[in-house]
Amino acid sequence: MAQTINTRVTRTDARRKVTGAATYAADEIPAGMLHGALACSSIAVGTVTSINTSVAEAEPGVVAVYTHETLPDYKTVKGFYAGGPGSASFWPMEGTEIRYAGQPVAYVVAETAAAARRGADLVEVSYEEGESRIHMTPDDSFVVGAGEDSDGMILDQGDLQAGLDSAAQSVDMTFTTPFQHHNPMEMFAATAEWRGDRLTVWMPSQSVRTLRAGIAGAYGLPETSVRVISSFVGGAFGSKAGITPYTMLTIAAAKGVGAPVRLIVTRPQMYTVATFRPESEQKFRLGADAEGRLTAFEHIETAQTSQFDMVVNAGTHITRAMYACPNIRTEQRLSRSDTNTGGFMRAPNEMQTFWGLESAMDELAWKLEMDPVELRRVNDAREHPTEGVPFSSRSLMESYDAVAQSFGWADRGREVGSMTDGDWLVGYGCATATYPTNILASNARVRMQASGNAYIALAAHDVGTGTYTIMAQVAAARLGVPVEAVDVVMGEASFPVAPISGGSTTAASAGSAVHDGCMKIAQQVATRVSAMSEGPLSGVDPAQVTLDDGTLRGPNGQSQSLAEALSMLPEGEVEVIGEFRHPALTNELVAATFKGGYGTAGPVTPDFAMFAFGAEMAEVHIHRYTHEIRVPRLHGAFAAGTWLNRKTAHSQLLGGMVWGIGSALHEVTETDSARSRFLNANIAEYLIPVNADIREVRVEMLEEQDDYVNPLGVKGIGELGIVGTAAAIGNAVYHATGTRLTSLPIRMSDLVST
Amino acid sequence: MRSFSYSSPGQIGDASDAARESGAQIIAGGTTMVDLMKIGVIAPDALVDINGLSDLEGYAVAGDRMRFGALAKMSTVADDPAVIDAFPALSESLWKAASPQLRNVATLGGNILQRTRCPYFRDTAYAQCNKRNPGSGCAALEGGETNLHAILGGSSACVAMYPGDFAQALIAFDAEVVVSGAGGERTIPFSQLHVQPGDSPEVETVLEPGEIVTEIVLPVVPAMANSTYLKARDRESYAFASASAAVGVAMDGDTVSDVRIALGGVASVPWRATDAEDSLRGQPLTEETAREAGRIAFETAEELEGSAYKIALGADVVAGALMQVKSRMGGE
Repeated sequence: MAQTINTRVTRTDARRKVTGAATYAADEIPAGMLHGALACSSIAVGTVTSINTSVAEAEPGVVAVYTHETLPDYKTVKGFYAGGPGSASFWPMEGTEIRYAGQPVAYVVAETAAAARRGADLVEVSYEEGESRIHMTPDDSFVVGAGEDSDGMILDQGDLQAGLDSAAQSVDMTFTTPFQHHNPMEMFAATAEWRGDRLTVWMPSQSVRTLRAGIAGAYGLPETSVRVISSFVGGAFGSKAGITPYTMLTIAAAKGVGAPVRLIVTRPQMYTVATFRPESEQKFRLGADAEGRLTAFEHIETAQTSQFDMVVNAGTHITRAMYACPNIRTEQRLSRSDTNTGGFMRAPNEMQTFWGLESAMDELAWKLEMDPVELRRVNDAREHPTEGVPFSSRSLMESYDAVAQSFGWADRGREVGSMTDGDWLVGYGCATATYPTNILASNARVRMQASGNAYIALAAHDVGTGTYTIMAQVAAARLGVPVEAVDVVMGEASFPVAPISGGSTTAASAGSAVHDGCMKIAQQVATRVSAMSEGPLSGVDPAQVTLDDGTLRGPNGQSQSLAEALSMLPEGEVEVIGEFRHPALTNELVAATFKGGYGTAGPVTPDFAMFAFGAEMAEVHIHRYTHEIRVPRLHGAFAAGTWLNRKTAHSQLLGGMVWGIGSALHEVTETDSARSRFLNANIAEYLIPVNADIREVRVEMLEEQDDYVNPLGVKGIGELGIVGTAAAIGNAVYHATGTRLTSLPIRMSDLVST
Repeated sequence: MRSFSYSSPGQIGDASDAARESGAQIIAGGTTMVDLMKIGVIAPDALVDINGLSDLEGYAVAGDRMRFGALAKMSTVADDPAVIDAFPALSESLWKAASPQLRNVATLGGNILQRTRCPYFRDTAYAQCNKRNPGSGCAALEGGETNLHAILGGSSACVAMYPGDFAQALIAFDAEVVVSGAGGERTIPFSQLHVQPGDSPEVETVLEPGEIVTEIVLPVVPAMANSTYLKARDRESYAFASASAAVGVAMDGDTVSDVRIALGGVASVPWRATDAEDSLRGQPLTEETAREAGRIAFETAEELEGSAYKIALGADVVAGALMQVKSRMGGE
């Protein structure tokens, strides 16, 4: 058999995707379907005093115009941060209250999408406007769970002040990051079809089982009466994780008009009806002795949250795992403002915090007159600095050494401003990347036939990352069949339980369930053929039979291919449910996942701390007249256990680094502070890198063995690539110019001498 | 988008007649117009499609006057080696605009009439926009963000920025536009086509209802061949200018005999920096004189909070463009 793991395998769905044969949620058109459109509030805070729907209702093609007074049988669910499946705790159109700009105030159903949107434009809403504030204010912030400290929102270990006092060099710096939006290519969409008390919902989702559990619970239906289908997802990045109002509104509207309704949310509305990356402030105080060993480490993160939820993406829990230090203090704070509730956006705990941490580390290295790579080396931790358990594997310095080699780090000028290229100032910078290894329970149905075909079904999702392909690879490797012989179906809530596609968990957790299913098939087949009077494995102890690349092997060299053994069974096939239950998964965590929630163990278990690591190096050019900032080279080296598919893994890391360039230099959701609205809610004015911004991006994938994380030895990589990129670029800007920038994105306006 | 009627006249006179009707809107490439219709900023009753007027597609750069038909595509003109050779700033101002897809359909005539990207103009959730809704106020100036706005040629009613690139190459080199309407044909200096906002920002040009831009004409001067368009923007492509400069220089020995400087990304209308030009004429072209010209170009700029950085940036871009021309001419 050809190698199917740790090799480059082209996506099994590539052809379907490029030919349009892959069906995304909005491609499903049930018979008699009508079209929905949202009308959204123009104010951020206040009250709806009246809504005139008569003009909209008179528009040709409009079937119904629903408001908070007229939408029938509209149900809502609890918000995620209150322990529910919803994207936010506050639901629009339950009453007259407006709590964020762009909040849905009316839902129009029409015969065409164009008529629905025209109708939405014609809904006339009057408001009484209240005072609002869109930005967080660190002066008005609070610690989550203060007093109880149950979730480690404040951690104080050692004596920070003593560590600062004894330091040879120290830094005290404050960094900020802006609101950002995910902007997946595929728009938010939901199609709802009721047939009596049975409901089908098609929508792009990172968690079909969360959706089904939430919807069924809200309507008091058994889960078997609700189908949720999300076969392909055109990018999610955290934006399609929870149940958002547009889905529940569409379900209610479909019930109201007695016909299937499809809503495709417009791009500007996508900025307000779902989640985003909250803005944040990152305060760091670091101290080090003359050799660079950290004597003090303090990180206070303050993140924006809505008035009605507490979005806790605890970045301090990640930063404090990075470097060895006896005196560590971290604090996790929130500040409220008048927006919808934010949420997860690719590397939700790490992108903002590593911009701060790794910039502060760079500043410390300059103060110490030390190579910033060496500063990381002397502080490389072998055990988790605050949890006291060893890392299950940690290849941070291997990553630095590999990327330094590939990048040519040794060739850099040692002084600020010492490198130029024509009219361009040149700088080099580096930063650490990490991502926690989260572990969730998962099942997978695995069936193998004597023909050599295998079938896999699970309620996982391919959010564009290649999950269909890697699930097939895992089965192919174990069962000894070609990848093409494995048919994988996913994205439907009725399939066996699989994790939410968030926190970089699917490959590791769902892949391990597929692995277990293959092993179970081998055991069942071995048991049955060993009990037969003939055949190569007749009479062997089935407990001693192993599965090796599709071959069953007995203790004394007996062997038989799995396919041949299956042909001896009257069924000609065996079907099992593979299960992944990592020893660190408590019953409560397993139960949470099976109820549609996010029951993650890790990154710290009683035995180990589990993280993937990497290092990135950037070359930045800054034009001496235009002050334009460009990144001609970005190199990264990463270690994340076993690489299942070197091609899709490479794409994930590369894509993360490209996004990191965007986070560093381009991405910001502009705000109108006077009226608390997002201003650039479209992808012409919300800048992301274009092809011309991406020059050389190189990814080195290091080998790493980790037998603890899961049977496959896999760590999640979906978010690893973006972490550290912004700091590597910011540090390179400092090297080129001597200007230390502390707010993202870094723009040429920051580098103009005023 | 509202429903509208559509016509595609074959003769310019018919097109002009149709466009003179109340609620009518001329459409060519449509790259701005369709966008604005989709987001509800404009809602014409009738679209008059002039793409059928194929006489307006031609252009010629030979002779003592360059002539560009209003329906010539941005990409066609930008990529023409004769244009690149004779007037690099014009080619560069076109290919540094928008994206290849847009340049393939956008026309020169439509491009010069491109509307502002002021976010308050483009978001109808804002009642306040004197340009979109005369007399309603200016959300940008009333506590809003002003980082995309004009520091030159704005008014207390409107600080919307003219976003185009091509126009800077035109105004720097004394272009004229030929327009056709009910009163027949007339020629307007390009510098007089656009109108500063003053008290009535809804009026953006001197075009009469039904008047159609048919041709852009430029007198050929030596400085055209030594010209460039330098555009500073936050990403490498597909971004509006934070500041830009179209410049051209002719030298008489060691001193500047003719110089053209126009500024993009900073003004309410296409903007010629004549004082900066005056400072250079008769002077040697050095880093010092170039930087001085840049400084003078922004002497009258307003200190608009969000766009304050553009004063220094714009001056640097002018200096950079002049030095780029100098180096292309074989200077040190």
